[in-house]
Amino acid sequence: MAIYILRKLAFFLGALFIASVAIFLLIRGAGGNVAAVVLGKGATPEAINALAHTYGLDRPMAVQYFDWIGNMLSGDLGRSFRTNESVADLVTARLSVSIPLAFSGLVLGLLIAIPVGTYAARNVGTPSGALLALVSQIGVAVPVFWAGILLSLLFGVRLGWLPTGGWTDWSVSPWGAIRSLVLPVLSLGLIMAAVLIRYVRSAVLDVMNQDYLRTARAVGMTRTEALLKVGLRNAALPLVTIVGLQIAELIGGTVIIETVFSLPGLSRMMLANVAAREVIVVQSTVMLIVVFVISINLIVDLLYGLLDPRVRATR
Amino acid sequence: MREKMHLITQRLGLLTAAAALFAGALGGAATLAEAASSRAAENKMVLVARQDPGTLDFVKSNLTAMRLWIPANVVEPLVYFNKDGSVSPGVAESWTISDDKKTYTFKIREAKFSNGAPVTAEDVIYSLNTMKASPVVDYAAAYEAVTAIDKVDDRTVKVTLSRPSQNFWQGMGAISGLIQPEASAGTIATNPIGTGPYKLASYTTNSTFEFEANPTYWGEAPPVKNVTVRIITDGTAGLNALEAGEVDALPVITIDLWEQLSKRELDKKYSLVTYPQVGEPTYAVLNQKLDKDLRETIAKTLDRQSYNDAFGAAWGAENTCTFALPNQVWYSPESPETCPFPYDMEGAMATIAEKGYASTPLEYASLSDVPDLSLPADIMVPAMQAAGFNVTRNAIDLARYSQLIFQGRPPQFDVTIMSGDANPVQFACPDPSKAGWSTYCSPEYTKALADADVALTQEDYVAKMKQAADILRKDAVIVPLIAKKGVGLFNPDLKGFEEPRVNVAIELNKLHW
Repeated sequence: MAIYILRKLAFFLGALFIASVAIFLLIRGAGGNVAAVVLGKGATPEAINALAHTYGLDRPMAVQYFDWIGNMLSGDLGRSFRTNESVADLVTARLSVSIPLAFSGLVLGLLIAIPVGTYAARNVGTPSGALLALVSQIGVAVPVFWAGILLSLLFGVRLGWLPTGGWTDWSVSPWGAIRSLVLPVLSLGLIMAAVLIRYVRSAVLDVMNQDYLRTARAVGMTRTEALLKVGLRNAALPLVTIVGLQIAELIGGTVIIETVFSLPGLSRMMLANVAAREVIVVQSTVMLIVVFVISINLIVDLLYGLLDPRVRATR
Repeated sequence: MREKMHLITQRLGLLTAAAALFAGALGGAATLAEAASSRAAENKMVLVARQDPGTLDFVKSNLTAMRLWIPANVVEPLVYFNKDGSVSPGVAESWTISDDKKTYTFKIREAKFSNGAPVTAEDVIYSLNTMKASPVVDYAAAYEAVTAIDKVDDRTVKVTLSRPSQNFWQGMGAISGLIQPEASAGTIATNPIGTGPYKLASYTTNSTFEFEANPTYWGEAPPVKNVTVRIITDGTAGLNALEAGEVDALPVITIDLWEQLSKRELDKKYSLVTYPQVGEPTYAVLNQKLDKDLRETIAKTLDRQSYNDAFGAAWGAENTCTFALPNQVWYSPESPETCPFPYDMEGAMATIAEKGYASTPLEYASLSDVPDLSLPADIMVPAMQAAGFNVTRNAIDLARYSQLIFQGRPPQFDVTIMSGDANPVQFACPDPSKAGWSTYCSPEYTKALADADVALTQEDYVAKMKQAADILRKDAVIVPLIAKKGVGLFNPDLKGFEEPRVNVAIELNKLHW
């Protein structure tokens, strides 16, 4: 097990290094610079170059990379060129929106997907199972922005029950913050459920045909008991992988939901900063997400080892 | 099986009902009237901004998203130029102009900045020198004739010019004339300080501006004490918020929403205002390196009415061949007298065939992330292709566009479309080596502008500006298409909107319930 963990850690560090270089080069490869964006079309190249110089953007690329990565390793994520705000502060403020949004959306998705997916697997080949499969397919096909706009129009504009968008900070009103999140979470959760139902259904179908489930039934368990006590733990393996990937995607990938509902989350912040070529903000934020994603993957890999002894033996 | 289906239907019904009950418990139905009146009773209002400026540093940034909210509300200029042409005091309570118009003496008001510090002559000198050194050319241009900025006494500042300059005087009522305390310069990007009727309580990027009435304001306290400006980048979401009664106004509605606004009949439910100051001319830019006949032929493929129709709201824009807005006296709508190259598709096709322009590859640089500009490009490129031009559209985002065109020397385009400030001085160019992003350079045009700048009378100034506008349109580099007006939607109970005086700034203290 120790070798298994060491291998995974080495892969983890290598992946981080490659990601840091890729992030650094990609944002620069997109062209443009923040000085030109700030000064707009009326500025002379001399003025733009002078501002770029004060931002340190005219230094050699290698110097900029090692400066950035060195600061990151010492815990300094850098500062916004335009406002001089600390990237750590910017990210922390946005996470108070993005984390509740992502996790609540995922939990809602799982709460719907696990029972519905299991039900669909148990009733495969029946009209109700086919109906659920159809509904989940439609859910997968529905663009998340469309679901968001419809929910906003129904619950916000027509019924007036919930805000159509906007954000009330937790420090101002926790209840207001929850109200701000209901429709975005609902949009995200419903779409996520549609995706996860298919995985749950497929995983449960897979274990239902396994010998150990037949053995469980042979020793006197009912079909439901066998599924709950023996089958679900085995079906959980692929689901854990998918959920891990979904969490990672959700933290930085809710830009559409955040835009439709005008939430000041991490994704929207990143989009605005990519457009403005705020390279330090973008690099540090993306790097944090990469660290998070790769850490989740590492945890998932280690969980595999714990959940299934065969994984430890074969890897 | 039917029982199972019935069970599922029952459970789904229960879930829906539960969701409805849950949503109901979170808040009662808010009608527009209730929401608006509750904010009125609390002396608040909520407005919508479509763009996040990212920085509030008005010295370094000329982004409209910043200029809408900070000037006039938080940071004031020395003077205000009113719609009727009169001049009102700002940070300067009075002023004198020498007979030769080369010396301006400003008496500084006894007032305090919103941080409690008194306004001093040193602050005014610092502010003017800072704007003089601004990297934003339009702001610094006001100081071209300034030779000295001196303190006369604790409350008097004298500005000496090498020649009369209309640009300087106009600039003192615009962003070039904004006054800030030197001690707070370090926080200008997130918390600018000034003497205006409001102070900025907080600015959260991509979320909100929170304004509070400035307790140290020298004038009458603003009628609405607290103002929230929500940054809603999705236009439909902004209109939804207005319709749901969550916000009270969208003072600036971009052109991409005009059609939706009409279709949803929001212009009937709310007070629609149109005003030229926040408007922008939309114009094609034809690289001056192209042959003049070729530029004129491209200009003839521009059907101004088709651009106006595309935006779906006749009240929002006028067809024009003059680089100006309707509030500028040298403006004129499209007419045979003012359009040197009117729409003439057949004529253009004949010239293309005759001169073989089809073999000249043209690159059309199109800003992909600005709807106001990608929509006209959708019309212009096919029209040019239909006429027979060999034109390729290169769609790029703002940062890349800034690099290739605004910053590029020479700029990397043959044809593009732009919209922005109607300040004709931006195209002044005394020497082709100093041509700006638009590539336009005309000594004749620049001289006409310089003559206007030193004009001693308003009549002379207007005559010279008209002459300059005529030179510009005949050169077929800057080809105006439409003059877009500023368009806003307000809750009918929210009254008092006045057209901006300091560039495009929405003056919040004029609004009241």
